[in-house]
Amino acid sequence: MQNKLSFHQSSVSLEIIGLPDYSNNENKDQISIISQWKLTIVDKPLIEGKIEHLGPIMNAFYIYSNLLIKNEIPIYESKLIDIKADNLHIHNIVLKSSKANIKPLVLKIGNSLLSDTINCFDQLNESPKVRIKKTDITTNIPKKLRFGLNRKVKFFNFLISPFIAICSLILFSSSFIYFYSPIENIEKKELINTELKSN
Amino acid sequence: MRKSYVNNNIKVNEFDALIKITVEMSKYLYPYIREILKSKEDIKENSIIWNDFNKRFIELIKERFNVDSMRVKKLLNQAENGEIIIKSLLILSFCISNQGYQKLKNFLYDF
Repeated sequence: MQNKLSFHQSSVSLEIIGLPDYSNNENKDQISIISQWKLTIVDKPLIEGKIEHLGPIMNAFYIYSNLLIKNEIPIYESKLIDIKADNLHIHNIVLKSSKANIKPLVLKIGNSLLSDTINCFDQLNESPKVRIKKTDITTNIPKKLRFGLNRKVKFFNFLISPFIAICSLILFSSSFIYFYSPIENIEKKELINTELKSN
Repeated sequence: MRKSYVNNNIKVNEFDALIKITVEMSKYLYPYIREILKSKEDIKENSIIWNDFNKRFIELIKERFNVDSMRVKKLLNQAENGEIIIKSLLILSFCISNQGYQKLKNFLYDF
């Protein structure tokens, strides 16, 4: 018998179906091996899939919600899911099937349903009864931003070597100041001049 | 921005306490926050909640904030304040989980 756990938030509910990992001495009501999940949004088609789809979809929602708040262009695109903002209140979700010849599922949700969905995912993350492998922590950074970061790092690496070279030249050449004394030189010249005049 | 002549900087523990209070309040008020957001989604059919909220928001701003400040004037302008209010409500609605305190803190530091 498989275990079923449901998380509800207003108009959205998330159902997780799976088994406990008995090899880890887990309780009967625990879910570690997720076989199926279902996301039900009122008045919208049912979204369901395998465990490998749940992580990317959750990440997509989290990244999109962050972009929405941080005044950046709220667009998330991946092989599995695209989320774009129609305007500040309506969000366009395109779920692409991994199977061929199946058209993508297009949903339009408002801010209220978006926050309900995020809260359902939060409940799942915080539930002690479900264990999800957090494999892709780096995916928290959207692709565009990651490229931006890479570019910054590359630019920094490009600049760091000439910068160190210039600094070392300055330090090295400043040590020569101890070998050259302009006052002594002037005195020597004056002495030579006086000797020449006396002769 | 506030109507105050005392310019004290907020301490870290006071800031944390305010975040905790805000998160607990948003947990409690989530159904209302959700309804306000929903009302703005289909403003033609369901404008009463949004209009009431906006009216009360402006009243409170006028009562407690320095109305001469340019930033406050922006908050009072009904044509411009929609985005600020929606984003603030969204932040609150995303922070009602048990880890809401940390989430809200991160949002505020990134703002």
